[in-house]
Amino acid sequence: MDQVQSLVQGFGDALTPANLLWAFIGVTIGTAVGVLPGIGPALTVAMLLPITFRLDPASALIMFAGIYYGGMYGGSTTSILLNTPGETASMMSALEGNKMARAGRAAAALATAAIGSFVAGTIGTLGLTFLAPVVADLALTFGPPEYVALMAVAFVTVAALLGPNLVKGFASLAIGLAVGLVGIDAQTGQPRLSFGVPAMLDGIDVVILVVALFALGETFGHLLAGTGSATVEPVRGRAVLSRADLRRSWPAWLRGTALGFPIGSLPAGGADVPTFLSYSLERRLSKHKNEFGQGAIEGLAGPEAANNAAAAGVLVPLLTIGLPTSATAAVILTAFQSYGLQPGPQLFSESGPLVWALLASLYIGNLMLLVLNLPLVKIWARMLTIPAYGIYAGVLVFATLGTFAAGGTTTDLILLYLLGLLGLLMRLADVPVAPAVIAMILGPLAEQQLRRALAISEGDPSILLSGPINIVLWSIVALALLLPPTLAVLGRRRHAAPAAAARAH
Amino acid sequence: MSAVSDPPAEPRPLRSDLAGSDLVEPDPLAPSMPMVAHATLSEEAEDALPAHGEHDRGTLLASAALGVVMMIGAVVVLVDAAGLRPSDEVVGPAVAPTAVGILLGVLGALLVLQAGRHLRTATAPQELPHRRLLRLAAMVALLVAFAVVLPFVGYVVASALLFTGAALLLGAPHPARTAAYGWTLAGVVFLVFDRLIGLALPAGPWGF
Repeated sequence: MDQVQSLVQGFGDALTPANLLWAFIGVTIGTAVGVLPGIGPALTVAMLLPITFRLDPASALIMFAGIYYGGMYGGSTTSILLNTPGETASMMSALEGNKMARAGRAAAALATAAIGSFVAGTIGTLGLTFLAPVVADLALTFGPPEYVALMAVAFVTVAALLGPNLVKGFASLAIGLAVGLVGIDAQTGQPRLSFGVPAMLDGIDVVILVVALFALGETFGHLLAGTGSATVEPVRGRAVLSRADLRRSWPAWLRGTALGFPIGSLPAGGADVPTFLSYSLERRLSKHKNEFGQGAIEGLAGPEAANNAAAAGVLVPLLTIGLPTSATAAVILTAFQSYGLQPGPQLFSESGPLVWALLASLYIGNLMLLVLNLPLVKIWARMLTIPAYGIYAGVLVFATLGTFAAGGTTTDLILLYLLGLLGLLMRLADVPVAPAVIAMILGPLAEQQLRRALAISEGDPSILLSGPINIVLWSIVALALLLPPTLAVLGRRRHAAPAAAARAH
Repeated sequence: MSAVSDPPAEPRPLRSDLAGSDLVEPDPLAPSMPMVAHATLSEEAEDALPAHGEHDRGTLLASAALGVVMMIGAVVVLVDAAGLRPSDEVVGPAVAPTAVGILLGVLGALLVLQAGRHLRTATAPQELPHRRLLRLAAMVALLVAFAVVLPFVGYVVASALLFTGAALLLGAPHPARTAAYGWTLAGVVFLVFDRLIGLALPAGPWGF
């Protein structure tokens, strides 16, 4: 098998002492930052991106992979001990996990989350290893029309799945598209929406938008809303699973993975959806239904596994098609570009060794996290006692640092603040910010592919609907647009949690 | 840590509209819990804003305001698009901006309409304490000041001041200790990112 051979080679590259050190630093910093309340994976990777700038591409990628998985792990610790999920995907973990922690079962909750994440992450990475090259081969046959259709699917699903309603999801999308327009038009060389400001000619860096919407919006919101006190649940005893807990956890881990990876790897938005599905599935299948809402371990194990499997799944469309479907993936795409790599079907053929080293380091990072997280969980818990003013002031320092590294001028900072105020307004208005980040990255790509498609057909728009793939994809677009309003009419009285809850990120 | 927690209350059920919000404060717990974090704005903890739902007045007003901002943005985008030189390609430079401008405008208008429709039945009109708005204004002023003085005083001084100012605005209790944290953080960040990683952060007249 080709993949196995390439993967072994990848392990050979990743297992050098230097690269192991980078992976270790990556997972440690990723977890440490991801654990901080209010900081989700997207912000973690955006803020820590500058750390990797001066490394050679292979080491940078390996460290970055560690940060990504570490940020995911850190987030679940926070939801369990503090009940402030930093992102939508760990909301379900907070639901049962925090209840378990309150009942004095924090150690078991952290153990099932950590082991579940490891199991799901490993299976997910295995899936990625074998699926990605296949999808990349398939994607080589895609022409511009297919890309246009794929991006349309991503746009619509992201907006439809992430907002409390369609208008708010699409409002976020439109804001992101407008931000993506800024800069020089690739076709005619004319500046768009730059107003003669030199710093805006190269467009707005996605790191600036992510930091503005997630970090500044959050900090400003915190100032306005004030805050009471949150209680960090204590961790008593060692983080190990009793036999009964294990028996209840492992089927949930596997079911969560089975939901998370396939849904995550679709070229459509909604990597958070599997966590909701997994929660309701576990609730339905559980023999301990009465414990749900009071700390049912399978209600934590399933969504936690689903979340991590989806995080691996998201890398499939990202690496093979160049299509980010979550805010975190949008940042990862930028990171790749800053290392001189262009995700897409050619990635595996052109930068094969690098990609395989990255995949190998995902396995390694996952294992490191398991080893690191279980014994060190009390240290991570201590990090949660850092007072909020310290966290937010520190985030501002890192946010401005990241912006400076991305742009390097005072104008970039002013732009960051303006976008941060916009982020605050979006937050107050209950408008999700993740679609804006994804749209900002995808907008210019969609324009480019549309131009290519119409250049091939000499202006005939029917090329967009040529071939079965395109017809299927556009049908999905139509369905995603028409289905939510139809369902809303059908079930108006039912304000079911999951659909409406998929917001904020 | 001076934690002034809200009076112990029944834990709220995690409602969907609350759960996703980052502004939501976690349920207050019995005060006897060992590790208590996040005691900020302590003198105001009692009048902390309750979590907003989709139909509270604050959310609706913010939606309407965002809608207006989007409509203004739409005009800017469309005017900018109209000023672009057309090319002879099918999808010229103005096509995407025009589409985005229209989308922005329509969605902005829809947001305003949506908010207006629900405003009559809105729950609990929320008065935003003026002190909080002042704090926000002070924070923005602090950030702008940071951007302006950064090239002149260097990264370490500017960041230390930013950290200290921001932490105090967010309710840090001990100014001297906070300043010490700020200088330490700025120093460490400079050493790691400038000296170790080589990011070339702006240096002041004293070289850091």
